[in-house]
Amino acid sequence: MSVEASPMEIPISVDRTQRGSLRLNIPKVSRSLLLSTVTVAVLLAAWAIVTEVGWANELFLAKPQTVWAAFVKTMTKGYQGATLPQHLGASLYRILTAFALACFIGIPLGVLMGVSRNARALLNPLIEFYRPLPPLGLYTLLVMWLGIGESSKLSLLFLAGLPGIVISTIQAVTSVDPVYVRAAQSLGATRRHLLFHVYLPAAGPLILAGMRISLGFTYTVLVAAEIVAASAGIGWMIWDAAKFLLSDVVIMGLIVLGFTGVVLDLMMRGIAKLLMPWA
Amino acid sequence: MMKRLLATLVIATMALSAAARAEEKPTKVTVGYLNLVNAQLVTKHLGLLAKEMPGVDIKYVKAGGGGDMLRAIAGNDVDFGGLGNPPTAIGATRALPIKGILVINMLDYVESMVVRSDKNITSLKDLKGKTVAAPFGSTTHYLLLQALKDEGVDPASMKIIDLAPSDIAAAWLRGDIDAAWFWEPNLDKVVKNGGKILVTSGEMAKRGYPTWDIGVVMNAFAEKYPSYVEKFIKAECEGIDFWLKNPEKTAEIIAEELSLPLPDATRMMKGTGMVPCNQQLTEEYLGTSAKKGRFVDTLIATADFLVKQERLPKLLPRADFEAFIQPAYIEKVIGR
Repeated sequence: MSVEASPMEIPISVDRTQRGSLRLNIPKVSRSLLLSTVTVAVLLAAWAIVTEVGWANELFLAKPQTVWAAFVKTMTKGYQGATLPQHLGASLYRILTAFALACFIGIPLGVLMGVSRNARALLNPLIEFYRPLPPLGLYTLLVMWLGIGESSKLSLLFLAGLPGIVISTIQAVTSVDPVYVRAAQSLGATRRHLLFHVYLPAAGPLILAGMRISLGFTYTVLVAAEIVAASAGIGWMIWDAAKFLLSDVVIMGLIVLGFTGVVLDLMMRGIAKLLMPWA
Repeated sequence: MMKRLLATLVIATMALSAAARAEEKPTKVTVGYLNLVNAQLVTKHLGLLAKEMPGVDIKYVKAGGGGDMLRAIAGNDVDFGGLGNPPTAIGATRALPIKGILVINMLDYVESMVVRSDKNITSLKDLKGKTVAAPFGSTTHYLLLQALKDEGVDPASMKIIDLAPSDIAAAWLRGDIDAAWFWEPNLDKVVKNGGKILVTSGEMAKRGYPTWDIGVVMNAFAEKYPSYVEKFIKAECEGIDFWLKNPEKTAEIIAEELSLPLPDATRMMKGTGMVPCNQQLTEEYLGTSAKKGRFVDTLIATADFLVKQERLPKLLPRADFEAFIQPAYIEKVIGR
């Protein structure tokens, strides 16, 4: 078998010392998938061994099978009055609503601030001031202003997501090649034309990247948002279970959170590909 | 020559005994205390622990409620802590490395259920469709659900939400909640803003649901420094005695520690039951090492309740709860 004939020559040539040409024919994607699987398998094995041998206190690290049992139980019977899909639904509703709001307000705001120096000077102090504030500190104030219902939770998630979108949109818009703008203007483009046919298409990929990061950031604030007076939601479930030292539920909830985060990110990438095939 | 040898010997002996003493002496003792009204504030304010443990760095850490304290204990962040009976039942069932060594306080009307006076709520049945708050996992959450069960009211007929005591006060002022079962000092803010007391924890004690806070020590600390556990108990007992003998001065201390007006501190004090250390070994409280008292029964009842709530996996046998209560240290302190 000749390696030269393989279209995958470049990525696998590094691997030539390893056994057999058969392996060399594995395409690159599945190779990295394989490596990732190894990481996960090693992690799972280490978890199983550590808990089985008794090196870890079960109080802090439940066994994999206990976590699985907690998963099955929460799926079917639920945790404190809501099943796992219901908890997840409550959380996803909060995240996606807040994220959509952040996009609806953040992207136009970012474009405005990117195009107009005056707008940037006016609004920058606000965003730069609250951006580094720790979410929990902000949250106590939000609870006092907006109460313990959904609005304070949504606001916190919204505020967590907003600056990322605004800042990346500003950067995306300001990095648009001025040649494009001038070329369009010389062809008689109006401001509206410039916005929809020059700025947004050129800045689109960077804006979408900003949205992805911002969604991730919104996601990280979820548990904090659900600490106060929630009675459903993955974050609340984790918080409540921690109070009763139910480490199996806590770990299960974190794993579910992790997977959901990955799925959300994949969805964002899919949307990006659909909307901006040129990126 | 002889002199030199003698000197060396003396120095060596001194060094040795110093080393032996240093071994028994912790460099730092961390006491977790609950943010409520009891004699631990007196012990802290008067520095009684420092007097018992000269040369030891003493650190006090405040916990908002039992849930926080439980996490601090699980994370090995404290040497001594205080827990209400539900967190204690959780900790004992979960085999946290702690022992109950001292009655910190019995809860009377310092913990109460308060309802909005303009909402026409005269019994627990009137809570249907209302929003009720309690810190989940605490004594009051336990009492709320017990009281509802006794009256035959379905908890699902109202909205029961989990809020920390300080958040309850904020939510009450905003009008987000109609009722709450929690404790001083925040309870008072709620009562003064359109609230009235419906049930107190003291009344629940008379109905057979006593709630209390117990002092706990980390097992590792107790094994390493048993004499310091006794010193801790001695200091807390002095605090309790001071509370019982000098109510006026105690009220001033409480007022200062919790930044409260004096009349409020006085009233809150009266709502808390302090048990003098020589009575703690009776049947009603810890009991003796030979025959453990009714605290064990309360723990079992609480744990059983939490199992039914699916907050605990299973009910442990009585022996495990008996092993958790350790009157041995206090027996030594009062010389029994």
